[in-house]
This record gives sequence, structure tokens and C-alpha cells, in this order.
Amino acid sequence: MIEAILRLSIQQRGLILSLMVVVLVAGTWSFQHLPIDAVPDITNVQVQINTEAPGYSPLEAEQRITFPVETALAGLPNLSYTRSLSRYGLSQVTAVFEDNTDIYFARNLVSQRLAILKSELPRDLEPEMGPIATGLGEIFMYTVEAEPDAVDEHGRPYDAMALREIQDWIIRPQLAQVPGITEINSVGGYNKQYHVTPYPQKMLTFGITMEDITQALKQNNQNRGAGYIETNGQQWLVRSPGQLHHIGDIEQVVIKNLDKTPIKISDVADVSIGKELRTGAATRDGQETVIGTAMMLVGENARRVSRDVAAKLETIKSTLPAGIVVDAVYDRTTLVDKTIATVQKNLTEGALLVIAVLFLLLGNMRAALITAAVIPLTMLATITGMVQIGISANLMSLGALDFGLIVDGAVIIVENAIRRLAAAQKSQGQLSLKERLHVVFQATNEVIRPSLLGITIITVVYIPIFSLTGVEGKMFHPMAATVVMALLSAMLLSLTVLPAAVAVFMNGQVSEKESFLMSAAKSLYQPLLLAALKIRWLVVSSAIALVMACAWLAGSLGSEFIPQLNEGDIALHALRIPGTGMEQAVQMQTILEEHIKSFPQVDKVIAKIGTPEIATDPMPPSVADNFIILKPRDKWPNPKQTKAELIEDMEQVLTQLPGNKYEFTQPIQMRFNELISGVRADLGIKVFGDDLDQLLESAEAILHVIEEIPGATDAGMEQVSGLPMLSVTPKRTSLSRYGLTIEDLQQLIATAVGGTNAGVIYEGDRRFEIVVRLPEKIRSNLYELQQLPMPLPNGNYVPLTEIATITLAPAPNQISRENGKRRIVVTTNVRGRDLGSFVAEAKQRIQQHISLPPGYWLDYGGTFEQLESASQRLSVVVPITLAIIFALLLMAFGSIKDALIISTGVPLALTGGVLSLWIRDMPLSISAGIGFIALSGVAVLNGLVMLAFIRDLRHQGIDLKTSIVDGAIIRLRPVLMTALVASLGFVPMALNTGTGAEVQRPLATVVIGGILSSTLLTLFVLPVLYSLVHERKNDTQPNE
Amino acid sequence: MKNSPKRIHLIVFLATSLLTTISVNAEEDHAHGSEVSDTHEQHDAKGPHGGKLLEAGDSQVELAIFERGVPPEYRAWITHQGRPITEHPAKLRVTLTRLGGQQDTFHFTATGDYWLGSGVVEEPHSFDVEVTLEVEGTSHRWAYESHEGRVTIRSDIAAAAGIRAAIADAGIIRQTQRLYGNTVMDPNRISHIRARFPGTIAQVKTNIGDNVKAGQVLAVIESNESLRPYKIRSPLSGIITARHANPGEFAHEQELFVIANYDHLWAELRAFPNQMNQIAVGQLVTLSAMDRTIASEIKHFLPNESNLPFMRARVPINNVEAAWTPGVWVEAEVVVSEQEAPLVVDNRALQSFRDWTVVFIKVGDQYEIRPLTLGRQDSQFTEVLAGLNRGDQYVVENSYLIKADVEKSGASHDH
Repeated sequence: MIEAILRLSIQQRGLILSLMVVVLVAGTWSFQHLPIDAVPDITNVQVQINTEAPGYSPLEAEQRITFPVETALAGLPNLSYTRSLSRYGLSQVTAVFEDNTDIYFARNLVSQRLAILKSELPRDLEPEMGPIATGLGEIFMYTVEAEPDAVDEHGRPYDAMALREIQDWIIRPQLAQVPGITEINSVGGYNKQYHVTPYPQKMLTFGITMEDITQALKQNNQNRGAGYIETNGQQWLVRSPGQLHHIGDIEQVVIKNLDKTPIKISDVADVSIGKELRTGAATRDGQETVIGTAMMLVGENARRVSRDVAAKLETIKSTLPAGIVVDAVYDRTTLVDKTIATVQKNLTEGALLVIAVLFLLLGNMRAALITAAVIPLTMLATITGMVQIGISANLMSLGALDFGLIVDGAVIIVENAIRRLAAAQKSQGQLSLKERLHVVFQATNEVIRPSLLGITIITVVYIPIFSLTGVEGKMFHPMAATVVMALLSAMLLSLTVLPAAVAVFMNGQVSEKESFLMSAAKSLYQPLLLAALKIRWLVVSSAIALVMACAWLAGSLGSEFIPQLNEGDIALHALRIPGTGMEQAVQMQTILEEHIKSFPQVDKVIAKIGTPEIATDPMPPSVADNFIILKPRDKWPNPKQTKAELIEDMEQVLTQLPGNKYEFTQPIQMRFNELISGVRADLGIKVFGDDLDQLLESAEAILHVIEEIPGATDAGMEQVSGLPMLSVTPKRTSLSRYGLTIEDLQQLIATAVGGTNAGVIYEGDRRFEIVVRLPEKIRSNLYELQQLPMPLPNGNYVPLTEIATITLAPAPNQISRENGKRRIVVTTNVRGRDLGSFVAEAKQRIQQHISLPPGYWLDYGGTFEQLESASQRLSVVVPITLAIIFALLLMAFGSIKDALIISTGVPLALTGGVLSLWIRDMPLSISAGIGFIALSGVAVLNGLVMLAFIRDLRHQGIDLKTSIVDGAIIRLRPVLMTALVASLGFVPMALNTGTGAEVQRPLATVVIGGILSSTLLTLFVLPVLYSLVHERKNDTQPNE
Repeated sequence: MKNSPKRIHLIVFLATSLLTTISVNAEEDHAHGSEVSDTHEQHDAKGPHGGKLLEAGDSQVELAIFERGVPPEYRAWITHQGRPITEHPAKLRVTLTRLGGQQDTFHFTATGDYWLGSGVVEEPHSFDVEVTLEVEGTSHRWAYESHEGRVTIRSDIAAAAGIRAAIADAGIIRQTQRLYGNTVMDPNRISHIRARFPGTIAQVKTNIGDNVKAGQVLAVIESNESLRPYKIRSPLSGIITARHANPGEFAHEQELFVIANYDHLWAELRAFPNQMNQIAVGQLVTLSAMDRTIASEIKHFLPNESNLPFMRARVPINNVEAAWTPGVWVEAEVVVSEQEAPLVVDNRALQSFRDWTVVFIKVGDQYEIRPLTLGRQDSQFTEVLAGLNRGDQYVVENSYLIKADVEKSGASHDH
């Protein structure tokens, strides 16, 4: 099979080479379509259903909206679970689907269910699906501000409301047109509203109720079309315009006639432009502002889209009123460009180094170029593959590509081919075409199996990575997939294009100058090898000692999950106590920003407080997301200062500000956390049940039990209570005494405090609500509210205190549900003891001390679960992988002994990796772990090349020692070459300090260190072991 | 050959352990919730009764604040050389130094199996504690801090954040009640004038809108009986509001003029059951309607005629300037009590904390809660019955910031 392919490739070399053009074209096309981002997307497949319910308290939102929505979603195909959040004015249900579910399919299902549901929801409430975006979606943010002396057409300075109007009606519609943008979200300022604020005393005088005012406004604000008439052949459309246009119009609306005197709105109420009851605010550098966020559609190219948005914003600027400034504050392009530059630099420098090594060691420019040609071809083929299976180019997916590793197989083939060609030329002079083809075929055939085997093995070692699930899986699958695709394409190329190219291009005098490096190495190697063969046991035992030492060392290294990509900017959660009012929060935020801005490293600081218009991230007013954009390092007072140090300094200053708690993170990281939002502590105990008080009580009891268990740290509980609430509880008998219903009372309260929508004012496209509600000084004053006169049907009135009790008490702040049931989560992390025993003890203690009422149950979750399943999977998958490798070796050699000898390469290679981490003072991480995996493959490959040759020599009947020494020396060059190219290919990555380099550095470090130790092993320990193992037989025949 | 199986084992071990240690430790690093959560203080040594354990030499004191069902009191358990001391001659004393320097001292007496401190431990339980124990010739002293609801804010930051304090002092509490009602005519001051004897109207001297004085001639009528003209005079000063008389017409029983005097109106305010018991004759009232206000007082307080459950408070309105008309609904602010209180605090200073209403006192850069027992309240001030001393500095403006700062770090109520 392989021979046939080889033969075909060499014979049809022209055709094969022209196939490369196909690869080139496909690769180039794919490159245009390759999504580029900074990091892989780790968001799960989810659909958010947001229902805005103005005025609803958490309890009502849950009962009236969340519950029906959740129930409607139950049983959808591929639905993994639902969770929900009911807050003031908002119900958010998140349906999480199984991985790999098509997002459009999922949204389709959800939207069908929502359509059926609508009749069950309260009127005027519209459940809406969140934008089709993932955690990487927020790619661009800008602020809308006015210059200090800017004035509008009426000569007034712009306020936050005017800015919001500009954002909503000039900027947003234009930006939303940019391809790849799914949503432009606004936060900050106020939506403009027309407020009609009646005075209770004036209403009493004229016997007018708020209902009358609302009705009058609704009935006097319509345009109506009335068909057409035809006069003298001409058609006239008939229309009666009756819409209100401005404040003056509203004031003139007649509410009713009193003794034939019209009572107008202006007789009982003030009309003015007013502020909505907002749920979100935005600030920048200590000033209120308006922030727009561009959300990218799932799967789009972040780099292109954010560049387009930036370009569009430039053109929009010219359409804005004079004095309005739009300033891009966060642009993903910056980060993507930086990371891609890092990756590019690594790959290019790596490739150049590889080519240099090839040339130096092969001493033949053409051969070096042919081998090097594999690099771009593989790259293009890989990119084609990535586009096909939908992997984006980013730090992780391109981060483990080592061209050295990729060309390993090619190096072996080309090296052997030119060695044979040179040898043949030496003995036969100039070769004929046929002879040359034959030599090439033979040379390739000789090494193709071991090198294919090697590549297969390197591919196989990546299998365990595919067994990772969840976030880790999403992070590393693309990486493994890319490497595997690159290796497979390299394998295919080695099998076809490479022999063809060698046959075509190595046509002249093949110069195989033994470079002086090689001769020096050889003359150094031979005596050393002979010496090693004399002190075999010492070599073997010191190798074992080294492995043991490194196993211990590995245990003492620190560890981390993945080295976090330094996004360059800081995201900062500022948390205040629940119940903090929006204006209070803005005030606290202003002080906070002034302090942040006082750092000379800070370029700008912006913050989103509360919930933006589209509730992609529903936060209460007590939480603010700060984005701190840093200046370029050369503008820092000390450019050497690390970001961690800066954060530490900041924390020190900021903790002195009263009332704020902080969590430092990074923009993308923060967004991922918000979206994934599962329990991110080691152990999460979920208490499910009906009654909130009972849930709270049980959760508190559990928290107390957990706190007492040794090892528990950061134990805490979801904050669900503490929202101050003013309840107006109807006095039923009193109400009926006055002939009122509860609805009358609630209507009055809702209109008085919250306001009632009484229509729309159109200004061109722009539309603004007319809202009827009490004047601010009455509605926000508890005393005034208590005395509020409730009009009676007979024209009399009764004060509110007569028919209702007003109480102030804390109420649930938010209600969380999961899979259709209320829940509270108690979380804890575990330090200084192993997680398994802690969980067991926690379960046992809870069983002993906590008795839950019927209908309540517990669920144990948290990362311990993932950890358990990951460890379980790995403890199965890793041995299986090793078994597969071993089986492959066994198949190739037909000898358990030889297979075992080669396998010894793995632990010795790992020692180098561990040592290099230790030397560079790096912790173990999954990145480093991937390095170890790659390393195992290279180690096996090296051993394979060496051993295969020694065996061949033995087969020719040469005695053990001679075949070992000769074989080892002949294979010195390929072994050195594969080792050098593989490690040099990673050198730029190991040394780079650009953005994103921190993620790749451990991987590269491990591989370089490991390859050095593995090469030593291949060159010395392996021959020694071979001689030890095969000497016992004491015969000159090799084992079969 | 011998080594090989061992190596395989080692490989498996290394690979699995590497991968698992990575994942185990990795999870710890990003395990941060995003909610404001309770972080509990480090656990001190706790005794079997849940109190704080103090040890020195071979003596041991467990000190607890017991507040289940009784006002908070100190209870202590003393052991010496391993055996419990339940009677004298142990001498235990606890001195609490509160913020601001106030000291409370507790002496303990043996009560059954524990020692009971003298007196109630007042809230807040935030103080520096000093404990001295004399038992069997040895004496020990412990000192520790037990703070709650106390924060330190640098003065420049407090100033920038708009935190302002005031000194607690006596003040006047002026409680008011809001009533609504409408203005009505004074029945004394309206007159419907008819002809005494039927006859022909000879002359009409006034017209609608004319101001007339008492005694002024309004019309002259020629009586049918005497056939002599007689004058109709105005019984009061006022304005002619209606005129149904023209010369030549026959005046019989119909109303000829209506004269009203608007110099005095009444406001009839409605006091509903919830408000009634606070309203009394003589209380001062501020009336406002149509952007005008006027001061007066309640003259009468009487039931209403309709069968609606409110009382009428009648308030005279001096309307010499003719600014008011009858039939207008007025808003009335009735001063129901006005008294000097020995200690009042500004309403802006009040915050809720746990189940209490508190203010924050300020001593230097330190702030601490003071749970208050409150008395009467008006729109600006609230009377303090207990919990604060005259002369204490308390935070008035932006007191919410202090509450936010106290609660953010998770105030624990643990002794």
C-alpha cells in the first residue's frame, strides 16, 4: 500500500507537484475565511430569554414570567439544563444546550415555544431572546460625550439624556448595519420621556383621576388614515392627523368638561421632558456618559468585524451634531492584532530557525528548501482544515504548532534520500533518471515506515486531550485538532509530495558535504558512546535516579490551570451592598473612578452600572463593571512594572474607599465567567425547594456545618436577600367600605410611583413615551405617599393610609432557579486537604446535622465533580493511549523488548521538561501538560529512528556491538536534526514576551527541555539498554 | 528486561499524575464567585459553650454573651488546673472599652454551673475587652478586640465622598398631619335678598360685581300695599353675585339679589379614622391650594353630615385680599404636636442595620453603629430615646456609605 503510493508519487511526480497548487489555492481561500480571535470561545451553547417587566419585583417576575417560560422550555431536544434569574424588572431564563447543538436550531426551538407561550404571560410583556453572541461577542465599546462648551440647537448644553438620544437614534442604527454585528447595546444616560405629573390637590379640585388623564392622552394622540376619494379623475388620500408633537400639545389636551369648562392637562399637571426609571448607568473618568457596545455574531471574525465597526464609527462622526465626541474605548482588534502578531512572530522565527538548521546539517540548499517547503504547505492545509471544521485562529489553536515537529518526518526522509543519492553518485557517477528515481524510492521506502509510525504516535498522544470536557475541552480541543491536522497533512505530504519533489529537484550533482558541525559531533559522539557502553549499569541506574528525582520535583512545582492570557486591560467588578440605589451607586462610582484615574498608568476608565438596555448581563445597580484601559507601557512611570504589581497597588488605594468591594479580572475573562456562570467553587451545595425563607434557613445551616469542616476556605452563600422593599398592603375591609377594589389601589400606586405609559410622541423616527406619574417630590416621599388621596367613584376621596398599610422590609433581592426549581447555592473552596475526602466528610456531616423538610433536596456540584470525572477519564484514557503506542511499536518491531526500550524514552524525555520548568520557575499547567504530551511523541519518534536502523544492521548479520555503534553513528545526524528542529522551532515561543506569550511559554519550555534530555537518552541510554537487553541472548541473531 | 515493566508503570504514573495534578490545582485558581458574599472572620478558639476561650498557665476562662430569651448578658466558665471552679474565691472582671472611651465593667458571680456578669451588655457588641482573673493566688489578664459595625475611613476620603457629621443635640420635633378638604362660604356672610312687600321695582342701584357696604341701598320698590316706595338695603358688606331685578319688574317672592362676603371663608378638612385622634381644636394649620398658602388654626372639629367616616375640621380663612374662592380643594398641613426633645438626630442619618435603626458615630477616623430606640419623628428630625449621647458626633450626610462599608465585609454577629 505505502509502497504503491510512493511509487505512484515518484512516477507521477509532475502531477503530484501540480496538486500542490490545489493545496495552495484552497489554503489561500481558506485563509481569507479563517475567523481570527484572541482566545478560543469557551461559551456553552445557550439561549438567553430576557423579559423586561417594568415595575415587577423579583417575586412577581418569578411567578408571572420566569416560571411559565421555564415550563415552556422543558423537554426541548438537546436541552442540557435551564437556569434563571428573577430580579427587579427582569426575568432572565438561560437555556443551555448540549455542546455541538446548532445555535440557530436551538433558537428556533426556543422561539417556537415562546410564540405559544405569549398568551400565558401578562399583557405587554414580550420575552425576547438575547443576541446571537458568545462570550467573545463584546468586541467594541465606545462612549458618547459632549465637548464642555457644546450646545444643542436650542443653545442648551447636552445632558446625559440628549447623549443617549444621539446614541439610540443616530449612532446605533448605523452601526447595526455593519456585517457581523448582531446587536448594539446601550447603557447610560436616560431614555427621553415626556412626563405628565399631576398634583393630587388639583386633581381633587376638578374631580379628575390619574386614569382620566391617561385615557385622555390615549384618545387624543392618533393619526388616522381614511381611505381615498376621487375627484375629477384625481385620487385624494384622506387622513386625519391628530398626533401630539410637543409639550405644548400635551398641555392642551382636554381631560373633561366641568360645567362646560374644559379642564386641560395644564390645569392639573406639569408637562416636561423627564427621566425614565433607569436600570443601568454608565460613567467614564468620573463623569456620567453613554456607552455603546457592539456585539459580534457567533462565529464571525472578531478582527474584521471590530475593524469594520471602528471604520463605520469614523464615518458616523461626520453625521453627529457639532461638539459631540464618539470615542472608541475598547477595540478587540488591538488585542487580536497583538496576539496574532505574537503567534506570527513565533511561527515565522521558528520556521526560519528550522530552515537554518536543515541547511547547516544537511549541507544541501535544495534539500533544505524541499524540507522547508513542507512548512507552508502544511500550514495552508491545516488552515483549510480549520475552516472546514470551524476552528478559529487564536492563541490556543495555533499555540502548539511547532514546525520542527511537523517537518520531523520530512527531515528523516530527505536526509536519507540525499545520503543515498550522494552515496550512489559516489559509486556510480552521474545517475540516470531511472536510477535516480529508483534510489529515491528505495531511500524513502527505507525510512517511511518509521517516520509514518512516528507521526502516527505523535498524533495518538494527543488523544487524551480530546477526552477533556467542559471549559478545558473547549479550550484545548482546537489546539489538539490543529496539531493533529498539521501532523496528518505533513504525513500525507511526506508520502507524496516530498518524494516527488526530491525526485524532481535533486537532479544535479548531489553534494552532501558533511558539515564541520556534523563531523565534530560525530567525532565527539563515538568515544562517548563507546565509553557509555562500558559503564552500562551506571548509565542505566543514573537514568533511573534522574527520573525518580524529577518525579519528585514535578510534585513540588506550583500549578495553575492555564496561564491566563494577559488581555492588556483590566476589568474590575465594583460590588456594593444589595439595595444600593442607582444614583448612590453612580456617586460611589465617580469617586472610585477619580482614584483609578489618578494612576499615571491608566489611560481611561469606563464603567457600566446595573443592567444595559438589552440584558445580556443583568446586574443590579449595586454592581459595576469597570474597564480600565491602560496606557502603552512606554508611557508608564516604570515600564518594567508588571500588571500584577499595578493591580496590587490599585487594590491598596481602592480598598480605602468606603462601601466598595472589588474583584479584578479582564474583559474577555469576565464575560466568559458571566456567561458560563456555573458554580466555579470547588464544592457547591445546591438547596432546592419552594419556600424562600426555608431555603435560606437550610442554606445557612449548611453553611455553618461546612465552615466547621477543616480545609474549608472562602465558604459563602449566594446573596439572595436584602433588597429593601416598600410594601403597600391593601386593607380589604376598608377598601370595600369605600367601594374600591384591590386593583384600583394597585393601579393608583403603580401610576403614582412607577408611572403609566399613556402613548408615544413621534419625532420623525424617534419615538418617546408619554408617562403619567406623580411629581418627583411626592412619589419619592414616604410621608406624601401615605397621605396620597385615592379618588372615590362618587367624587370623594380617601387617604391611602386609610385603605392600605405601608411597610418597609427587606425582601428577596433575586430569585435563582435551576431546572425549574428555586435554589440557593452554598459554596466553598478547599485548601490544604484533598477534595475527595472533604466532599465525603461534608456529605456525611450534612446528613447528620441537617434535616430538610419534605419537598427539599440537595445537589452536590462544583468543580470537584468535573475534577472527578476528568481524573476518571484521564486515568482510563492515558493508559489506553500508552497501550496504543506500545501496540504500534510492537506491530512495527514485532518485539516486546524493542517496544519497551523505545517506551523508556518517554519518562526520560519528561525529566527534561520538568527540569526546564523548574529552571525557569514556571508552574505546571495544562499548557505545560500539552508540552509533555507532544514530548512523549517526539521521544518515541527518536528512539524509533535509532532502533530501526540498529535492527536493520543486525539483520544483515553484523554483531551486536558493531551494529549498535555503527547504527547510532549513522543515525546521529537525523536524530540531532529532528531534535534540533523540534526544539529550535519552539525557541521563539519560549522567549517571546509579547501579548499572549504567557500562554505558550510553558509549552515551548517543556518541549525544548524535554527534547534535549530525550536526545541524550536516544544517543546514549538507548544503545546501552539495547545492548543490555539483547546481550543476554548471547547470540548474534536478533530476536524475532 | 527486569526494569521495563516498572518503567511502564512509572510512565503511566507520571502521565496520569501530571495531568491530574494540573487539573486539580488548576480549578482552585479561578474559583471566585461574583457575588458579595459573607466572608467570615477567622475562628478563634471556641469553648464547649460556644464562647471565647482564654487560657494562661493552668487557668482557663470561657467567656460568652448569652442573649437567647434574655437581654444580652455575660456568662463565664472558669477552670483551674483542669477542674471547673463554680464558687468563690475566683474573682473575674471584664472591662469593655467602647469607641469614644466609654467603659463598662462587669463583675461576675457564680450562678449554678456558670458565672454571671453584672448587668446587660448593651448593643453594639463592639469593644476592646479586658479580662482579669484571680484564682487561688494567681492572677491573669487578657486583652483582645471584639469589633462589629466599626470601620475606619481616612478623613480626606471621607471628605471627598461627602461624608459629613453633626453633633447630636436637643431639638424640636414638629409633627404634622396632612389633610385635604375644600373651601366653603361662611354661612354668616351670604345673603339672599327678597322684597319685603310685593311691588314694582322702581330703581335698581347696583349691579353684579359691585361692592356694597352694609346699609347701602340696593333697589327701590313701590309697595303694592302702601303704594309708597321703600328702599332695600344691603344687610352686609360684600359683592353682588346675582341680580334678578330690573326696573319695572314685579318683585314678589323671588330672590332679587345675592350678596356674598368673601373676606372670610372656611376650609372644611376631612380627618379620616387614622388621623382623627391626632386632630384637635386649636392646632395650627397651613393651607395651600393653587400655589397659595395661608396660615390659620382649627376652630371646630365636628362629625360630618354625610355618612362617610370622617370628621370635619373647620379652619377659617382670612380672604380680605380675595385670593381664595369657595369650592377649592386645599391641602392642609396640621401641626399636631410641637415639642422640645432632649436629643434628636437628623433623619438623613438613619440607616437600617440588621433589625435595628442605627446612626453611625464618628470618633476620629473611626465610625461605628449605634442602634437607637427612637421616639417621635417629623419630616426632618427624629427623637432619640436611647442609644446615643448628647454631644456625640454622628454622620448625617452620606451615611449610606458607612453602612455600605460596614456591610460589604460581611458583618458577623459573633462573640
